[in-house]
Amino acid sequence: MNALVYAIFGTLFGWTLSRSGAADYNYIQGMFLFTSFQLYGIIGVAVIVTAPGLWWLKRRGTTAFGAALALKPKPRHPGNVAGGVLFGVGWSITGMCPGPILVNIGEGKLYALGALAGALVGAALFGALYERLPKALRLPALRIGTGDG
Amino acid sequence: MLILHGIETYHWAVAGLALGAITLLLLWVTNQRLGISTGFENLCALVVKAPYFRRAEVTGSTHWRLPFLGGLVLGGVLSAVTSGGWAPFWDLGLFDEAIGWGPAGKLAWMFAGGLLIGFGTRMAGGCTSGHGIFGISNLERASLESTLAFMAAGIVTSNLVYRLGAS
Repeated sequence: MNALVYAIFGTLFGWTLSRSGAADYNYIQGMFLFTSFQLYGIIGVAVIVTAPGLWWLKRRGTTAFGAALALKPKPRHPGNVAGGVLFGVGWSITGMCPGPILVNIGEGKLYALGALAGALVGAALFGALYERLPKALRLPALRIGTGDG
Repeated sequence: MLILHGIETYHWAVAGLALGAITLLLLWVTNQRLGISTGFENLCALVVKAPYFRRAEVTGSTHWRLPFLGGLVLGGVLSAVTSGGWAPFWDLGLFDEAIGWGPAGKLAWMFAGGLLIGFGTRMAGGCTSGHGIFGISNLERASLESTLAFMAAGIVTSNLVYRLGAS
């Protein structure tokens, strides 16, 4: 598939994040402080739409071009929760999850460059330390990874 | 009302419908599972040569994740251009009102949070998109557990910062 197609999907996704409040510091704090329903509504409806769509696509088993649907579940391990906790603290501090970091940079929010720099250093550290992380996390073998998404 | 030009947001139902539709179309048309945080690994792989960044999943997804990430930036640019014009700015809403640090402080705060996002999402194997939207919709237990963990941690942190720290 052409890179342009993926760029268009990314643009549509980024536009929607920008205009919905999902890439806005105040709306993220409003979600975590229970003063705004906006983000709960967005994520909730996205799941309500995606879940039956996925069920139908999996039952159908093929893509629009007839290829077999490539869809494997993410591995389950204690890192899902431990990493999730670290990410949640970071999401609150910055008011951005990974997609909105890039959307905020596009909008012109200069502080988002700090978040991107941090995220890249954080991911690089995780990758470099992968085989030295605590055994209690029971992370999958390196070639499998923690789950991609 | 958004920090960006003070414009009104889409209704949450419209935004959720759009994000769900894009997620499904991405899978149906391109056979790719939505997920953004792995894109950090694709970016890292450009300069860091650790074995983790030479896994098949990283080398095999660069061709689509990098243009997708570029699209996210472009979506933000277009959103600003069409709502009052693009210009760089530092406004941070509630943070300015309650904490009020200048640009250097904001960059440091954001960098610290970013470290946790990069390290945490990769340990968790996904973020709001891959676990929260796709994984939960696909009824994956790892995604449900991870989403509950990052939502709970976000709720605790924001309450510590704004209800205890800044009051």
